[in-house]
Amino acid sequence: MSAPLLEFHDVTVAYGRRPVLWNIDLTIDHACLFGIIGPNGAGKSTLLKAALGLVPTTGGTVTFFGRPLADGRRRVGYVPQRETVDWDFPVTVGDVVLMGTYARLGWFRRPGRGERRLARECLARVGLEDVADRQIGRLSGGQQQRVFLARALAQEADVYLLDEPLAGVDARSQETIFEVLAALRDSGRLVVVVHHDLRTAAAWFDRVALIDRRLVATGPTATVLTPENLERTYAGQIELLDELGRAVAARRRTP
Amino acid sequence: MMSGIPDVVCCVATAPAWLAVPPNTVVVAAGVAAVGVAAGVIGSLAVLRKRALAGDAAAHAALAGVALAFLATGRRDLPVLLGGGLLAALAALGVLVLLRRYTRTRDDAATAIVLSVSFGCGIALVAGLTSRGVPDAAGLEHFLLGHTAALTVADAALLATVSAAAVVVAVVGLKEATLVAFDPGFAAASGWPVAAIDYCLVGLVAAMVIVGLPAAGAVLVTALVVIPPVAARQWTDRVPTMLLLAGLIGLAAAVFGVAASALVPRLATGPLVVLAAATLLAVSLLAAPERGLLPRAWRRRSARRGAA
Amino acid sequence: MGRFPLAQLAPMGDAGEGVQHLAERLLGPGGGMHAWAMATAALVAAACGLVGTLLVVRRMSLVGDAISHAVLPGIVVAVLAGGRPGGPLVLAAAVATALATVWLTERLTATGRMAEDASAGVVFTTMFAGGVLLVTAFASRIDLDPGCILHGVLELVPFDTVAVAGHEVPRGFLTASAVCAGLALAAVVTWKLQVFTAFDPEAAAAAGIPVRGVTAGLMAATALATVASFEVVGAILVVALLVVPAATAELLTHRLHRMAVLAAGLGGCAAVLGYLAAWRLATSAAGMIAVVLGLQYAAAVCFAPEDGLVIRGLRRLALAWRVACEDRLAAYWRAEETRDRCTRPVPVATTGAGRFVDAWLAATGRIARGPGGRLLTARGREQADTVVRSHRLWESWLGRHAELPSDHLHPPAEWIEHHLGADVRRRIEAEVGARARDPHGRPIPPEP
Repeated sequence: MSAPLLEFHDVTVAYGRRPVLWNIDLTIDHACLFGIIGPNGAGKSTLLKAALGLVPTTGGTVTFFGRPLADGRRRVGYVPQRETVDWDFPVTVGDVVLMGTYARLGWFRRPGRGERRLARECLARVGLEDVADRQIGRLSGGQQQRVFLARALAQEADVYLLDEPLAGVDARSQETIFEVLAALRDSGRLVVVVHHDLRTAAAWFDRVALIDRRLVATGPTATVLTPENLERTYAGQIELLDELGRAVAARRRTP
Repeated sequence: MMSGIPDVVCCVATAPAWLAVPPNTVVVAAGVAAVGVAAGVIGSLAVLRKRALAGDAAAHAALAGVALAFLATGRRDLPVLLGGGLLAALAALGVLVLLRRYTRTRDDAATAIVLSVSFGCGIALVAGLTSRGVPDAAGLEHFLLGHTAALTVADAALLATVSAAAVVVAVVGLKEATLVAFDPGFAAASGWPVAAIDYCLVGLVAAMVIVGLPAAGAVLVTALVVIPPVAARQWTDRVPTMLLLAGLIGLAAAVFGVAASALVPRLATGPLVVLAAATLLAVSLLAAPERGLLPRAWRRRSARRGAA
Repeated sequence: MGRFPLAQLAPMGDAGEGVQHLAERLLGPGGGMHAWAMATAALVAAACGLVGTLLVVRRMSLVGDAISHAVLPGIVVAVLAGGRPGGPLVLAAAVATALATVWLTERLTATGRMAEDASAGVVFTTMFAGGVLLVTAFASRIDLDPGCILHGVLELVPFDTVAVAGHEVPRGFLTASAVCAGLALAAVVTWKLQVFTAFDPEAAAAAGIPVRGVTAGLMAATALATVASFEVVGAILVVALLVVPAATAELLTHRLHRMAVLAAGLGGCAAVLGYLAAWRLATSAAGMIAVVLGLQYAAAVCFAPEDGLVIRGLRRLALAWRVACEDRLAAYWRAEETRDRCTRPVPVATTGAGRFVDAWLAATGRIARGPGGRLLTARGREQADTVVRSHRLWESWLGRHAELPSDHLHPPAEWIEHHLGADVRRRIEAEVGARARDPHGRPIPPEP
């Protein structure tokens, strides 16, 4: 039996001294469109960031293809949330997509003809080949999101992690993005998406995980998105975890 | 020279006199010009990474380092003093990192603390040396506002070498620096050591600030690192072009400062360099084709006239 | 620069005889002069500390830096126009220049052509350069030299006196008192507005507070404090007086008005101590004041009651020790529990640390030597009961509410057992229902 594509084993994450994710145990075995759903503040983005080593974990491990991230970074692509970028930065759309190839190039090597061709192809796949020379500040919201998706495609990864790729994006761009993601899944890649909208989640994802600081339920979309599970996630027993977090923080200050 | 009329005006009035410039000045000018280029290039990377004022902390701390180097070795050669300045600058930047990680003090306050306290140490050291009548100590004051008139050919060669090395490093690592400046989260997720690259950048800024001390002085060398890149940004939307233009603007400003300082040794170089750079910035803000205020107003007026 | 005029002190004149005699007794001949200088510096430092508190809290330390540099050309122009250094024309010019600087920085940032820190850097360096150039160009006509600008002339303040009610009082002292009193009054009157705006500008604007006016007021106050500090510490080190005491105070307290008072006090102390140190070491007073401020900050970083690094380190050690002791007690408890079913020996401490823990537990009466090894005493058993109860309750909660298999329950419980208090335990019990056994079937001890 081959190793699972992505596995979270007993992952706990604390910001400062207060835990925000408790003992997450999640295994994804085969390529699919996997949704991570939950209310605001449930720790969904934190889960992705913990997987990528962008936030430290207080406990537990995350493995890709059965190995730690460091062994297989090339095979993991990441599309972060859009707000973190400076739109006045002097780069064009083409420059940003080319950045997806940098990790493969390594230190000090410049992108060559092969990389530029790959970048053009990725831009075509998301429908942005016309604006390759435009500075990124001059794009619409949907176009900006597609640029970052193209950058991830240029990474030619086997597992893609996307953080709210459809937030604040117009309907047409949403369709385009979803088609690209579905094509990735069909070509045998795992696509994990943190998603905010329950209604579209039911239509788009093969499997989902409901997160509210701990894992509430996971499995095929139809079986997981039941009224009972949704109640537990969205109006569930979060007060105790809040109190617990405060207790831990307080105890750590005054032993 | 009539009293009350500043020296600068008199210099300009006797313009033809300065065409017969001694060769020493030319060599010094070349060295300082190299500093201007490198400050523009490195400064561009720092401005893009939003670390424009890290150089300020480095520069102020460098004064203490220069004084300590003089105290420790008793020598006034430029390499020794600048070496001391570099060590102090790196120490100050290290302290800044520690303050950010281990205390509640916010970034801007931490920078201001490191900058002012280390500068105070420098002032206390230099004043202490001067009041004890230590010979040559008064020369350290020139590091406050810049004084290129006292540079030797060997000094200029040192400045030019360090500047050239810094530019080479910046060009070689341009891809990594741009990636980290644009999207550090993505860079970290892709496996790049973002913190290490940041330290390298800040170290380069410190080095540039140190070699800029003789040209512009501790107080104003940050301007040399900040103003040319901002001016260059107005003319282009690509990073490599921005670096090139920033280098050229820095060059122009530095050369102007040296020339004016050679003509009127009483005036410190620093303010002259900064004002030259600021003028070029004002021109850029007003006249740059895409982003300039005047071309935009013109385009708006043409559009309105066209629509009418 | 910075030469301490020890040899040039002349007798002071008629300034308050009692204080004069006290000063001379404490500080030696010329003590009166030193007292005036220290008093001026202390007043200026207190004023700067007060203003600096608001700057630091609003993350505007950079703006303070910018203003302190940028007022120079305003001051020079005012002096050239006939104003007296420290007089009303200069003060007004400084305020105007400060407000112009802030406005210019905002306009530059708003054009979208550069980031905020870059625009601040551009504006204040250019204005400072302009000021220095004016000073050096017109050096013959005005009494400011670049050295003075950079580090002040506190040592010479006592020599420039005016007659006030028959006494000779240094002009610098009068300016400093006026500015300090004025700023203190303004602070008291507008404190609530300033605090509200500092913490939540949007809510303040929604509540009808003129946020722009309040901010402009703060900038004007900064400019006044800067000008008053010029003579004392010069342009560069004004930043030290503005930011460092406030940052130190921030580490020591969470209440804003206490922070302001502390900042003013720390600034005043640093001014006096720095002056005395400079006198003793024959160096620049401004530099030494900055050094003392830095030492105050460093002391706060290390030893502040809640956040000090040393304190934090000690607290972490204490926590680790408590965890080790509790783990050991729990191990004894579990060994006792299994002893009824099989003869499992009490785990003997093999590492050095384990032996220390055992020795400590014995010394504090929680374990005792009995027949067949060490046993828990009643006190020890009570504490061990609590730990094991926390552990097993948490396993019950996890088993019921999280999709964790039973072999994943132990590690999280191992960690959390040290941090649950009695009330949280009661809450957990309320949620899982009173039960006697955990998911592994082991008994949960009752609340002691």
